[in-house]
Amino acid sequence: MSAIARTLAILAVLTASGLAVADEPPRLPVLVPITGFLSLEGTSQRNGAELALRDSGVAFDVDDTATAPETAVNAFERAMASGRDGENVIAVVAPMLGTQMLALVPLADEFEVPLITVSGTARITELGSPNVFRFFPGDVVVKAAHARYAVEELGAKQPAVIFQTTAYGQSGHAELDRNLEQLGAPAVLAEGLDVTVKDMLPVLSKVRDSGADALLLHLHAGPTALVIRQARAMGLDIPIVAGSAMHQPETAALLEPGELAGVCAESGASPISESAPEMRAFVEAYRDAFDREPDAFALAQYDGVRMVLTAVDLGARTAANIRDWLSSQRHEGLAMTYASDGKGNMAHSAVILCYDGDSQVPAIVKRYDNITGVL
Amino acid sequence: MLSAQLALNAVALGAAYALVAIGFVLVLNATTAVNFAHGESVVAGGFAAVALTGLVAGIWPGAVPGIVLLPGVLLLTALLGLAIAGLAYLPIRDRPPVSVFVTTIAFGIIVANGLNAGFGAAPRTAPALLGGGTVELLGITASRQSLAIIATAAILIGALAFLLQRTQLGRRFRACAQDPEMARALGIRLTRITLLGFALGTAFAGAAGLLLAHQFFVTPSDGASLILKAYIAVVIGGWGSLRGAALGAFLIAVFEVAVASVSSQPMAEGLLYAAVLLVLLVRPEGIFGEPQRLRA
Repeated sequence: MSAIARTLAILAVLTASGLAVADEPPRLPVLVPITGFLSLEGTSQRNGAELALRDSGVAFDVDDTATAPETAVNAFERAMASGRDGENVIAVVAPMLGTQMLALVPLADEFEVPLITVSGTARITELGSPNVFRFFPGDVVVKAAHARYAVEELGAKQPAVIFQTTAYGQSGHAELDRNLEQLGAPAVLAEGLDVTVKDMLPVLSKVRDSGADALLLHLHAGPTALVIRQARAMGLDIPIVAGSAMHQPETAALLEPGELAGVCAESGASPISESAPEMRAFVEAYRDAFDREPDAFALAQYDGVRMVLTAVDLGARTAANIRDWLSSQRHEGLAMTYASDGKGNMAHSAVILCYDGDSQVPAIVKRYDNITGVL
Repeated sequence: MLSAQLALNAVALGAAYALVAIGFVLVLNATTAVNFAHGESVVAGGFAAVALTGLVAGIWPGAVPGIVLLPGVLLLTALLGLAIAGLAYLPIRDRPPVSVFVTTIAFGIIVANGLNAGFGAAPRTAPALLGGGTVELLGITASRQSLAIIATAAILIGALAFLLQRTQLGRRFRACAQDPEMARALGIRLTRITLLGFALGTAFAGAAGLLLAHQFFVTPSDGASLILKAYIAVVIGGWGSLRGAALGAFLIAVFEVAVASVSSQPMAEGLLYAAVLLVLLVRPEGIFGEPQRLRA
């Protein structure tokens, strides 16, 4: 069946479904970590989803998944138990914490409800579930950009890698290692850190002793800022290319502009660095709504929810409608073009942004479009 | 001289952890109860410093040094300690000890979520105690902040030692810690000593929060790891022993900094817990033993 015919068929089904289930507004629960060590990113998820859902006619409730997988599972089951026994739940905004997503995927399959997430953990789309839709470029995409920038642009030949020991960190580390090997620049040092570690001098002393010519980080926000601050304080001036957490304005705000000199980061996008009118409008609306700067997680979640709402506008009223739409359609979001690769990975592009040492607002220095070749 | 820097870092971190552990023991000695909100008290101290920075910045010429905030942090967290005592301990002090576990855990969760709601989830930083940068000391390049942490902790611990050893109030406190029933029989008001214990202990935790917040940032969810460190320090050093708590705290810092630098952070953490198990097997009362008293 051609793409046009497939789209027309889906639209016909959506319209018919809409006529059949018109008496109850569709629901889109937002289950995100608002407390715990990932609360900064989870709050961005919530804000992006909320901004997209305002005035949409789709009902939504926000529930905190904190950090434990069982908390996310309980939140999901509560969301599915409310309303008309969950029948009008068309999708769920799911937490970006990898361990929670891994716990939710079987439930999503059981309830046949699509999960809209910005989790970067690779494994969530490798479980064979038709119900996971990731709107932030996964590790396969961003770590390719991460490694390529360090090696091809900065000329790194002996990079060191520091990663978090969480599922997110280990997943990203595996992808970084693979990409660095392929680029002929294997890591001379790779160290894992627990999220609670505060003193980075031990690991940074090993980085210095290893003779590394670049430092690649795959850490959450706080540890990223700690490493950068303490690296600069000990005089370790090699280029640092950090993970997505560094692009968040709250992370940059922890550091002085001078400490950010020579620091770059990978991300799906950087809303505050863009000048396109639609992006500026999003940034302004976000600032007005939440009194803070938006980051790529908020933008990706916004784009993901907007794709769902596009289907709703065309008459989709069931989870099956939404799943079919997300699986088969292309969506022009603010950050990038989204389309499924068949496994639920919707985002296939990444950017590298760098700080100039004079400001806490980075500039996009390199774009890596369609890394997976899906688009 | 990287090893000298590592040693200095370990001492500075140990000094801050010592304040946390000593504060934990102060409450323990005053009440026989474990205050599971103690970690959140450290976090509250860090955020008190963040908030006070905003208030003081308007009237202080130039950048606000963190040491200026110390009296305010001590006062605010002492008040928090009184609140913990009044709400989570005194009403149920005649109940089984597990009741205090639950109420203090609940209080800690309330504090953490309140801080999250008030300050947001992002890590925050407090100003350096006496400015940033480094100084040359005995041939090594030493962080000014690390030196300030060590000095501040030493002064606070010294003041506490003076209070406990050289004042009537301190003697009453020690009497209650050793034998509350006899102390009560001698006319010492246990409730006042309890309140003092909570106020002092939480103030020490708050001071640690200020000391840690610049170099290591502070987030609302940091409390859980800090109470664990305090507990480990007390198990190693001796349940109820102030000097034991300080020793245990420094041992934790040695593992986190020195051992991690020659192995890996996960390995260092594993070795730390192995050391705790070894202490429990060989000397279960801790390095400095414990007073003869029923413990929760």
